[in-house]
Amino acid sequence: MEEREPAKTTATKGTDAARKIRAMVKNIYKSCHEAQSQGKKVAYIMVSSQYDEILRAMDIVPLPTENYAGLCAAKRDMDRFLTKAEEDGYSQVLCSYARIGLGFDSLRKELGGMPENAPDGGMPLPDIILGSSGVCDPRFKWFQACGRFMTAPTYSIDVMHPPVHCDLNAVRDHYVQYQKVQFEGLIAFLEKQTGKPLNKDRLWETIRLGDEAWRLWYESDRLRTAKPCVMPSQDHFNVMVPAYYYSGTQEAVDYFQDLVDEVKYKVENKLAVVPDEKYRILYGGGLPPWHTMWFFNYFESFGAVFVIENQYRGFDPVEVPDHVKDPVEYLAWRAFLRYTARHEQAKANSGNPVVEKILDLIQDYDIDGVFFHACRSCRATTIGQIHTKNMLGRYSDLPMTQFVSDMVDLRDYSEAQWKAQIHAFLDAMASRKK
Amino acid sequence: MNFAGIDIGSTMTKVVIVDEQENIIQELIGPTGAEHRHLALTVMKEALEKTGLIFEQLGFIVATGYGRINVPFADKQITEITCHARGVRALFPSVRIVIDIGGQDSKGIKLNQEGRVVNFVMNDKCAAGTGRFLEVIAETLGIELTDLGRLSLQAENIVQISNTCTVFAEHEVTSRLAEGAKIPDICAGLHEAIAGRVVNMVRTLGIEKEVVVTGGGAKNPGLVKAIEGKVGFPVLTPPEPLITGALGAALTGKDLADKGLAPDQERRLEGVTFFK
Repeated sequence: MEEREPAKTTATKGTDAARKIRAMVKNIYKSCHEAQSQGKKVAYIMVSSQYDEILRAMDIVPLPTENYAGLCAAKRDMDRFLTKAEEDGYSQVLCSYARIGLGFDSLRKELGGMPENAPDGGMPLPDIILGSSGVCDPRFKWFQACGRFMTAPTYSIDVMHPPVHCDLNAVRDHYVQYQKVQFEGLIAFLEKQTGKPLNKDRLWETIRLGDEAWRLWYESDRLRTAKPCVMPSQDHFNVMVPAYYYSGTQEAVDYFQDLVDEVKYKVENKLAVVPDEKYRILYGGGLPPWHTMWFFNYFESFGAVFVIENQYRGFDPVEVPDHVKDPVEYLAWRAFLRYTARHEQAKANSGNPVVEKILDLIQDYDIDGVFFHACRSCRATTIGQIHTKNMLGRYSDLPMTQFVSDMVDLRDYSEAQWKAQIHAFLDAMASRKK
Repeated sequence: MNFAGIDIGSTMTKVVIVDEQENIIQELIGPTGAEHRHLALTVMKEALEKTGLIFEQLGFIVATGYGRINVPFADKQITEITCHARGVRALFPSVRIVIDIGGQDSKGIKLNQEGRVVNFVMNDKCAAGTGRFLEVIAETLGIELTDLGRLSLQAENIVQISNTCTVFAEHEVTSRLAEGAKIPDICAGLHEAIAGRVVNMVRTLGIEKEVVVTGGGAKNPGLVKAIEGKVGFPVLTPPEPLITGALGAALTGKDLADKGLAPDQERRLEGVTFFK
């Protein structure tokens, strides 16, 4: 039978730093396999759970299941896992990251080993499963369901989300204490699993590395305010890998230092993503369509560049007060400050921190249009998008558009429809620029 | 100088020619069919013949609609969102929302006070909420598509029909017929279903007066009535709702000429050559 070329799903990147990510992704799964052969514990983890530095300090190797779902989509090798999960009774409206993960686990159990040609060698059976309430409920329900396919002990922590209209001074101590207790419970669980106590000096070190990587990441993003755009959003959706999956390591710090240096050089030399930059687009929200990332390049072929994004870039750097001397308390403080960073600004203006952030980005990055991606199976990033869009419309007359598909499930995507919508959006931006 | 707009939609092809005062001097509507790549040439020739114009007298030709790339003699291709907005604005200067219900898609367009498109939304990979939905059900009912509107106005007990899927709705209609529901009541139920789906979609833009309904859907008085019921106030419809895209295309051509842009000197009135 004639072999078919695999469909191109990825986007052409603008920076060398972004091109290095593929190897780093491969290494995530490779290092998990190697770790187990060295007797280290491997843990299924969820992004934005605030516990990354604790794991690194305790020599636990993180295995990001959501990333694996995105990887399968980029490789267009997701159908067998989605189908397996649906065969097992999981609804098609359930988070497709979760369906890929659960389908993968189910298939691995059924086969008694790794599914054949699993992307990047597949996910090994974890020793520990660590959920959280950060961002959405599948983050603990998914891992709860993993119990059908494995016996690894599971622990989930709550991650705070203080409401916007509270008096931060009045609630701060409660939230910080609550988050600290959550981390302490997790640490006790991990100490039991590893048989080793947490070394707090080591935790301070991983926190320092984690903060420095994120500070450098932020610095690179601020450099991206320059015109023309030198680092597009498809690069961002790559460089997030060391930020989230290598957090608390020297490798992440080195990576982001290189990124800052490269972006700085490109800005100084005006090495633009597209030679004739006509429109600067903000990726306003929604998980990216990992199955069809080349759509960024399609926009670029018309002089439209995605210059900044409000997705997978949740937290600007925060200043934890000097009086905090305990690293676990520091993490709790940091989480509080991260999750309330725009509360006061929101209270004074729109009442909505997401709207405030997008308005800041629109101004800082001189945006011509805002793009949202509604993912059918991601409630966390999709519900509220239209409300956000309508609220933004009160403060900005920029064209805004919402595209619909899914982050990994190709069945929800229509190329013809996207292209029709892209051209209409380009027209709307052109009309405003006249 | 005259200006032509050609809108190749999924089911109908429309041509409009306007003069320098923006008056419509010719409009033609014909079915698109499978060989729409030939049709652009045919309808343009016919429009010129009827107006007594020659091709060279057309200052600008703008093509729009999903088949716009197959109009080799057009000076410019522009999306239907922009063209509909321009065409409707010319007819109704106070328009803020356009609801276009076409053969295989439906869309909502929001304009600001200056008439610029600020937001838009299109139906999502589904025939429910489009003219195709009505075509399928009319066939099931054994009536002409053009009779749906008139019949629905005679409804006494509107039958509720699902708006989530054309295939399921067809099945539902068959069941309702078997239960003895009257055809006018079913027709009205269909219009409620399609209006509910389309208006819900357009609500994401924020509905403001004036609302103008265009496309084939606007020719159906039952559907327009159902839309009015959903938005809560009367809506406007153009005298010929099918031509607003082509009109907008022609007027956009005039706008380009007003800016001093000149059409391609090499253009020829000929069809595409890669289609047999």
